[in-house]
Amino acid sequence: MNNRRRLYEGTTKGMTIGATGIAVAVLLIVLIYVFRQGIGLLSLDLIRGNYWSENINIAFEEPAAKEFKKPADLPKDAYFSKKFGFALADREDPRGADLMTVVYIDPDSPLHTAYSTTAGATQGKHVAIHEEASIQRIQYLNTDGDKKTAGPARRMFSKDTIKALDESATELVLMYYQTEGGGIWGSIIATLILIGVTLVIVLPVGVAAAIYLNEVAGKNKLTAAIRSSIEMLSGVPSIIFGLMGMAMLFPVTQLFGANGPSILLGALTLAVVLLPVVIRQTEEALLVVPNGLRMGSLALGATQTQTIFRVVLPNALPGILTAALLSISRVIGESAALIYTMSTIISDSPSLLQPATSLAVQIWAITSAEQPNFELASAISILILAMVLVLNITVKIISVRLNRRWSA
Amino acid sequence: MPDKTRFSSKQRKRRQAVDKVMRGVFLFCGILSALMILLIFYFVGQKGIQVFLPSYGEKRQSLWNFLTGMSWRQDRGVYGVGFIVINTLITSFGAALIAFPLAVLTGLFIVKLAPKNLRVVFTTVIELLAAIPSVVYGVFASGSITGLVNTIAGWFGQITAGGVGSLSVVFLLAIMIFPTICSMAIVSIGAVDRQLELGSLALGATPMQTNMKVVLTAARSGIFAGLILGLGRAFGEATAVTMVAGNAMIGPTINPFDPTRTLTSTMLSGLKETTGLDYDIRFSAGIVLMVIIVGSNLLIHQIRRRIGGVTNE
Repeated sequence: MNNRRRLYEGTTKGMTIGATGIAVAVLLIVLIYVFRQGIGLLSLDLIRGNYWSENINIAFEEPAAKEFKKPADLPKDAYFSKKFGFALADREDPRGADLMTVVYIDPDSPLHTAYSTTAGATQGKHVAIHEEASIQRIQYLNTDGDKKTAGPARRMFSKDTIKALDESATELVLMYYQTEGGGIWGSIIATLILIGVTLVIVLPVGVAAAIYLNEVAGKNKLTAAIRSSIEMLSGVPSIIFGLMGMAMLFPVTQLFGANGPSILLGALTLAVVLLPVVIRQTEEALLVVPNGLRMGSLALGATQTQTIFRVVLPNALPGILTAALLSISRVIGESAALIYTMSTIISDSPSLLQPATSLAVQIWAITSAEQPNFELASAISILILAMVLVLNITVKIISVRLNRRWSA
Repeated sequence: MPDKTRFSSKQRKRRQAVDKVMRGVFLFCGILSALMILLIFYFVGQKGIQVFLPSYGEKRQSLWNFLTGMSWRQDRGVYGVGFIVINTLITSFGAALIAFPLAVLTGLFIVKLAPKNLRVVFTTVIELLAAIPSVVYGVFASGSITGLVNTIAGWFGQITAGGVGSLSVVFLLAIMIFPTICSMAIVSIGAVDRQLELGSLALGATPMQTNMKVVLTAARSGIFAGLILGLGRAFGEATAVTMVAGNAMIGPTINPFDPTRTLTSTMLSGLKETTGLDYDIRFSAGIVLMVIIVGSNLLIHQIRRRIGGVTNE
């Protein structure tokens, strides 16, 4: 009998430990997978870069030819220019078209002094030429002082272009160059706008509703009905909120001049999604404010409005802050509702009434495209994960402090 | 000289008026928040039903064909949601089958067996798991779970479409609903009356017998509430599921290695235009999804009441 009991103890205990082990292992695998896939791409250039690449003309501040040494570790198919200190190689783009790309730039190369000559906001600004940049055309001065052109636009690829440059060029005049795409700056701006507008809408309404439920409302059927309706709202899947946004809130944004999915529509929709979160968090904070404070304020002759705004709300402020942080975390992670209401069109210069993508929706857009880019998706995932985890841990710390404050 | 310690009647009236207005504002916000759920039902319902009404014109769909149809072909204008409902149920309950026992056992370990300082760490880990956005799980699933499923399929001599399909969705959903069920289990196991445990131990039961038979039984109401929440999340999970579902055009499929199609993946994938039948019918699928969620909630509530009837609560 004793042995059987011991066996039972051992197996059941083992089962619980095993289950917990699986849970922890899964969390670690998710984190490790995302980090290993994305960390290589994560850089300041990625964060500040545009998603769409564009073609610009660049010229050079120090265009003259110098002497360079060929580095030992160049790829086998690369051709090195001894006069200008860079190497070119032939590549194919995802569609199979031939490209000529920069694979190496010497630290002293004239390519580091490039600036844009294309009309527009970036004209005259420094251009940092990245490796794997595609180059269509190079214009140079030859020994006779004539302008000559080389590059794929003249049916010359790496070998011929480098040969032409090193044989006769004295000075680089122009390069027709494709800027690096695949950045996320536009989505970061769109996410920030989205967070701001959503909070501006949801916080006042949610806090007021919580005040009604906790401070004003009597214990009657209406209050119970309001409570259970808000409870039900939190069980609705986010994709249904997306449908609701298009069917119900789109006409509202049309009044402001939107004619399709837009950041404003996304923000209105998320405000509805977040209502139950804000109301619940605020109510919890209101509940722990001791009743004696209200009584004292009223006894001193303050009106109920004064009591709420001067006594109750200041004491519930950490709870409202918690609500705001949780809301931000939800907005950053939300995707299904936004795919409907903000579209999946990645925008480099988002504005309130135009379609754009948040960071989470950009992940969706690039993984559901014909050429899924999982590396970029993982890099964005790292950013999202970091922000969400930091926000949630902060919330946890605030709530622990809050409980300690009133129980002490 | 006026008495400054008292309000004049004019001041008093103004103070009362401000109070009244503010109360009105608070009531308005409360009712506005409560109305949202009704507005969702009304607007999504209205847009979803219109494709079955005569006023929709030539492209009007038959409600019967929609509900019982076993193929969804956007290219041919055939929209049948029957097999999608079955696939959604299979994948969600499959996920619950994996996640539920693991989550309950983990909850038991965290509350009853783990050392005190580890308990906070584990609880935080579970909360963080619940906070990870769906799209991150989606990236993880389409990169690694699909590979795993492909390998498993190889053992059985099956061929997959790059690993996407029912089994991938089941694994993904199991991971995603695990924290939901587990945190409810932690709360309800932690709330079990200590006296019950002491009574069981005094009668000679071992600690684990007490945990498995007394504590879990006493906490079953909250544990099942967690299951409901988890299933709700599984039915409604959209982005991540769409990434690994594979969007089969016909079904239902029993083979776990075949591509599948859930209600949410149907609503999300191939979304381009915002007008026309192909767009409007997504709202109809949305209605079906809401009906399933409400229906399964009611069903589990019934089961819960039965189980709860065995002992006093």
